[in-house]
Amino acid sequence: MLDFQHYQLAFTAHIRDPSANKKPTKVNDARMAIYREIVFNNLFGAVSACFPVCKSILGARAWRKLVRAFFANHQATTPIFREIPQQFLLFLDTKIDCPLYFQSLAHYEWVELALASQQTQATKLSKNPDYLNEKPMLAPAHRLLTYDYAVQTISKHNQPTFTKQTHLLVFRNAENQVKFIELNPITDQLLSLIKKNDLTGKQALMRLAEESNYSNKKAMITFGTEILAELANQQAIIGSAVVGSS
Amino acid sequence: MPTLANIAGVGLGLKRELIPQIQRQFHDGRIADVSIANINFVEIAPENWIGAGGKAEADLAWFVERYPIACHGLCLSLGGPDPLNVGFLKQVKQFLSANKIPLYTEHLSYCSDIQHGQAGYLYDLLPIPFTEEAVKYVAARIRQTQDILGQRIAVENTSYYAAAPISSMDEITFLNAVLTEADCLLHLDINNIYVNSVNFNFDAHAFLRQIPPERIVYSHIAGHLQVQDNVLVDTHGEAIIDPVWALLAEAYQLFGNFPTLLERDTNIPLLPELMQEVNKIAAYQAMYKSASATYA
Repeated sequence: MLDFQHYQLAFTAHIRDPSANKKPTKVNDARMAIYREIVFNNLFGAVSACFPVCKSILGARAWRKLVRAFFANHQATTPIFREIPQQFLLFLDTKIDCPLYFQSLAHYEWVELALASQQTQATKLSKNPDYLNEKPMLAPAHRLLTYDYAVQTISKHNQPTFTKQTHLLVFRNAENQVKFIELNPITDQLLSLIKKNDLTGKQALMRLAEESNYSNKKAMITFGTEILAELANQQAIIGSAVVGSS
Repeated sequence: MPTLANIAGVGLGLKRELIPQIQRQFHDGRIADVSIANINFVEIAPENWIGAGGKAEADLAWFVERYPIACHGLCLSLGGPDPLNVGFLKQVKQFLSANKIPLYTEHLSYCSDIQHGQAGYLYDLLPIPFTEEAVKYVAARIRQTQDILGQRIAVENTSYYAAAPISSMDEITFLNAVLTEADCLLHLDINNIYVNSVNFNFDAHAFLRQIPPERIVYSHIAGHLQVQDNVLVDTHGEAIIDPVWALLAEAYQLFGNFPTLLERDTNIPLLPELMQEVNKIAAYQAMYKSASATYA
């Protein structure tokens, strides 16, 4: 390592964690203070913008301390600013002193940002949607998520005291807004089947009936028809495509 | 397809807040409102736009259709102790090509480090100590960057606040040594000359006169924040002050005019107010003849 690099590393170690690492010798402390402040504030702003609920739950002081710990202890590997919150999630995975639901909540808050800016390919759709006889197509930017907590209801005044398995479909609509829909377990299973396999709506429903030992196939089709139409109504399903075409 | 020659006249740093305001001035693909006619090109940070989908992707496509774009990077970390992020540079290369962007510039600074054996980003511009070793090191990384991109880049003289006691030369000597050793272009930041001259008590005009004009590809001008009598912080959040305007005028007078871009990153006013500064740059440019053919 070159001489000036030893200096650089002492400089950044001090900026990351001033209490643990002395500033390089002979550097003007008042000037060093500018870096201590602006570098952290810049990162603090980037992280805080993505996690407003997490922040409000911890309170300003504890939140700041948590982001401080992130800056001091996590070596962020991405130069892309939008990906900084994801680095924060990686850091949270190593934290054991957060409330149990906190990582789930943070992930949920991050998903909104991730979907808002996710790149997508145009989906080839049939002219007239037929969700039963073709493959129902979800919005190109979407995630099918299962959390141990009802993350979408958590707020400062509503912190979960028990686990509740929660299925969510989060997606970006045609107006580039990110929306979420809470799914019951059977709808979640249906969408997982459609997502992972090249199946028509009807085929997926039949497989679902088999997997859940449900013999009333007619009722299953009725249920499926309604639910797929409702998801389309909410723009979570954007149309249908011939099976084998994607 | 825009070329370096299209990075001309006056430019404006493209902030999200400004996008709808600029878009509203267009009808049927043409500028309907002459009040923004002086914006000739825009500048974006690749770190904000690479891989962006949704609305950001649509907005970028809109600007690619209508304006020459310069890419001004923040995180390449030319002076960083960790290996140059070649994967990222390849993304930049692809991004430039996909969006018809003829120019990529970066800061003469670093924004990454190595702690506990691991490289990591700090996402801010940190000052490289001005030493012989650092000149060679940074210049080699600039050349490596140019080799990977297959084009020359420009580096910007960066504002800083804390002098490294191990520095063995002054900033202008360091800057010129790097430019020569790397044989790259200069992204001249007028405001940064002023900010550093106050922060480190040197003569901004003397600094300016030592700039190699043939390497200037374009310049930046911006406002800053005065936090103490002798401490300026380069916030890009205020109006440009008179001594900085005077420095720009002097640069045009000395070297002939060159493309200049207004940076406003915080405390962003509405477009009409920013246009007053854009138009003022254009007026200065009209007062001085163009620089002779640039180095590029």
